[in-house]
Amino acid sequence: MVDRAGQEFKSGEPLPPTLLHRRSTPEELPFKLSSELADAPAMIGQDRAAEAVEFALRIRRKGYNVYALGPAGTGRHSLVLDLLRRRAATESTPPDLCYVNNFSDPQRPRQLDLPAGQGAGFAAAMKRLIEELRISLPAAFERDEYRARREVLDQQMKTHSEEGFGGLQQRAEAKGIALIRTPMGLALAPERDGKVMNPDDFQALPEDERKRIQADLETAQGELEAVMRQVPQWEREHRDAVRALNRDTTGFAVAGLVGELRNTYADLPDLLDYLDAVEHDIKENVDDFLPQSQPQPTPEPAGSPIPPAAQAAIEDMRYRRYQVNVIVDNGNRQGAPVVYEDNPTYQNLVGRVEHLARFGALITDFNLIQAGALHRANGGYLILDAERLITGGYGWAALKRGLQSGEIRIESIEQALSLASTVTLQPEPITLDVKVVLVGSPMLYYLLSQHDEDFAELFKIAADFDDRVARDTDATMLYARAIATIVRREHLRAFDRDAVARVIEQAARLAGDSERLSTSMRAIHELLQEADQLAADGGKEVVGAVEVQGALDAQIRRGDRIYRRMQEEIARRTIRIETSGAAVGQINGLSVISLGALAFGNPTRITAQVRMGRGEVVDIEREVQLGGPLHSKGVLILSGFLGGKFGSVRPLSLHASLVFEQSYGGVDGDSASAAELFALLSALAEVPIKQSFAVTGSVDQHGVIQAIGGINEKIEGFFDVCLAAGLTGEQGVIFPTSNVKHLMLRADVVAAAAGGKFRVIPMETIDQGLQLLTGVATAVTDRKIADRLDDFAAKAAALARTAPGSMP
Amino acid sequence: MTARIERVVVALDAVSENRAAIDTAVRLAARWRARLHGVFVEDDDLLRLANLPFARQVSLGAGVERLTLQQAERQLRAFAEQARRDIAAAARRRNVDWSFDIVRGAAAAGISSSTATDFIVAGTATRPIGGHFRIQCRWWSAVAPAASSFLLSSRMWDRHGAVVALVHNREPATERLLDAAAQLAEAGGGQLTVICPGELAEDETFVAWLGERLADYSVPVEIDLAPADPSEVIRRIVNLDCRLLAITADDPHAKPDQLRNLIAQAACDVVVIR
Repeated sequence: MVDRAGQEFKSGEPLPPTLLHRRSTPEELPFKLSSELADAPAMIGQDRAAEAVEFALRIRRKGYNVYALGPAGTGRHSLVLDLLRRRAATESTPPDLCYVNNFSDPQRPRQLDLPAGQGAGFAAAMKRLIEELRISLPAAFERDEYRARREVLDQQMKTHSEEGFGGLQQRAEAKGIALIRTPMGLALAPERDGKVMNPDDFQALPEDERKRIQADLETAQGELEAVMRQVPQWEREHRDAVRALNRDTTGFAVAGLVGELRNTYADLPDLLDYLDAVEHDIKENVDDFLPQSQPQPTPEPAGSPIPPAAQAAIEDMRYRRYQVNVIVDNGNRQGAPVVYEDNPTYQNLVGRVEHLARFGALITDFNLIQAGALHRANGGYLILDAERLITGGYGWAALKRGLQSGEIRIESIEQALSLASTVTLQPEPITLDVKVVLVGSPMLYYLLSQHDEDFAELFKIAADFDDRVARDTDATMLYARAIATIVRREHLRAFDRDAVARVIEQAARLAGDSERLSTSMRAIHELLQEADQLAADGGKEVVGAVEVQGALDAQIRRGDRIYRRMQEEIARRTIRIETSGAAVGQINGLSVISLGALAFGNPTRITAQVRMGRGEVVDIEREVQLGGPLHSKGVLILSGFLGGKFGSVRPLSLHASLVFEQSYGGVDGDSASAAELFALLSALAEVPIKQSFAVTGSVDQHGVIQAIGGINEKIEGFFDVCLAAGLTGEQGVIFPTSNVKHLMLRADVVAAAAGGKFRVIPMETIDQGLQLLTGVATAVTDRKIADRLDDFAAKAAALARTAPGSMP
Repeated sequence: MTARIERVVVALDAVSENRAAIDTAVRLAARWRARLHGVFVEDDDLLRLANLPFARQVSLGAGVERLTLQQAERQLRAFAEQARRDIAAAARRRNVDWSFDIVRGAAAAGISSSTATDFIVAGTATRPIGGHFRIQCRWWSAVAPAASSFLLSSRMWDRHGAVVALVHNREPATERLLDAAAQLAEAGGGQLTVICPGELAEDETFVAWLGERLADYSVPVEIDLAPADPSEVIRRIVNLDCRLLAITADDPHAKPDQLRNLIAQAACDVVVIR
């Protein structure tokens, strides 16, 4: 048999040390220091994902958003960000986004687009305009011309008053009638000696006199009513005339200043419309720009006077409606925006309308509209973490709604869910033109594809990130350049060739495959930083393989407390694992325990018992609900193997039970099925198994051994047990031949193997493995099993005849 | 007004623009560290009118309606309470002691008990009908019988403009007039303009006499010649941007009809000094 490097090996025999750990050769790494290497052009092994993202970027059509799926640490964010930035740099910068007052409906603020970088300038220009008007408008109203025209209008009112009330008063007084101001209006009363007559005096008058007075009163009353009916009209006419005068006066002062702005922004029709509205509003509300005149007494209200700060706030409120709220300023941007929102909640995506506390009430206006990530990314690209988006408070719903409708509508969650009926702002929606890239796990991608009907419509492009890359010469060199790139970017010490080689070997170990390299650059990144720190601690200018190995050992040391505790308990025989001798129906199986970022192999004693029965193989783990479905499947397969090999000429009148001894947690996976079958066959044949071996591998119904995962951790786990017990040269691990290519074992394991103290033996079939484990020829073992089964069958038949239904 | 003012009396009723008078009164009380006393007068003319069987009231809100005694008294009580609250609030803001009374009678009844150490303030105009139309209130008629100086206030106190004093001679009443006018000018932060006849202004001793009278006050003083035609005096006052006109009680303009006319035409506050 030949491995990938052309090196020969033979199943059933110990592997040569060179196949236990594939080293990177000097030929593959033709340099001395990482600093000699150029930067890597892109992420390693992600061509498929990169092509997908680039394709999506070229299509500017609805729904061509991207879901970048892959394991964490494979550089999804880095690659996406890099591709988006390159693309964005070639595109035009989107406009600044502003909100301004809608003078005809302040509840619905108006949105204005200005060329990139002009928003802030326009906001400042509007501020200057208002400051200018606060000076120039009062001055205009102080001019003699205005005063004279206003005096004419007031004089007209005075004339009305004198003609109306004065004339009435004079005529009434001439007839002995007084015009009296009552608390609510006016009244006429007969007067004598400057005083209103009392009823007795009036009744004492001659009847003719009384009638005359009453007639005069009625006449005067009629005149008074006529005058009073005129008052609202006179007031209205005066008000209209003053308003027209004010408008004229204001218009002259405003026209020049607004005209300058019109000239500056002549090529922006929307903005010119807005300036028209501003000019109209200023004319209609010129009083806001004038000092509070005091023709009428305006007393301080009862209670405390208004504090200066509050007064200033009121002043400020008066002019807020002319401000410009630039919610997105692209002034300093080159090209299209690329925005990463790390907290994609509803409001962080679509923006919000904030509130101010004023005099005990919460108020708001368009100045308090805040942009969301969709606003900032509009015209460009938005990157979001899919998991955070889904779990982040209605963010997913908001994103879908925006992408479907093609607009950003700023609403509170309560409004969006129709839970609130309070009146608040409804800003004009903004047209949305953004390419969204979700970065997330494959599982979430498949869940969304299956359960969310909108997902496929909105995210048509999947960029599938691979977690490994083939370990050929080109890839190895590219990996070295990627290491050099990180070293340079992070300002680390240069890594020598051996150090780079050791890092690449670790990348293969992370991939769990000597022919592949992991693309999880996060782990590599951390390893480089930690190795650099060890070099710094050691006062070295170049990082060597020793520092890389030191960093790896330290990582394991930080995370192996529980593993070491289990090893310790095995050494103390609290957990029974035999590494010498032989036993019938007992074998060392191997499993893997994941502890955070690290995984360790864990030897487990598997035992089997057989007796006469109805042909069942009982998986005790399953019976007590500690066995998972894959484990149960493995046990059923070995039952199939047993039936196929021995059941064609006799009934399988046996009852077998299998158990993971001293196992107190769940068991799953089929990697122990070969070991379980060996234990069962040993129990049936009553042939002892050498306890110096541990076995891993799954088996099919024909007895062929199949590959399993975690081979390196499993071998190292049993090696550590043997090491603690003392290496004898007889110990070793028997594993599937198809796992040989995955071997990237620790240096101490390789060294022990090289020294003949530990054996790593591949196997192809159950027969081959059983012979290795028992030292007995397969034909002999098979004969013993057949005899045992025949014996069970005969006894079962006899029992059935003498005591029907008594079979256990 | 050389005597120390111990009480500023503000005369109020149900038809006047009371708040300007209250504002002026409380500022003066605070400045002079005097007590503020509000007197609300329930006008007996109104009550007599309400007793007449044919009494009618015309208002912009309700048109023509019967005016009953019960209705009039209810309205008077409401306005009196409002006046009391306004005085209390104004006194609290200026940290002034205050008191309040309600009396029934003619306008003069409210101030009949005033003394020389009182200073009376009252409004000159009624509240407007609609936005603009006012008729004069009757406080002008209470000036002549009053024993103390009397300020008829139409505007809030802090408006700009000069205090103008009409001077005819160097009598003690004129000295009191100058003393009061200077105090009021100082209180308002404006200048004092003294209008006097030509022969007086040309007398050098008068200028020196005037300087002595005003030596204790830090107000800019101007002397202006009175027009030869007495009927032109009011026009002159208007042209001087006068905020407060100060006259002596024996000034011809202080006679009731003249005073009524002066208030209507000069459009400024008027103080009659005793």
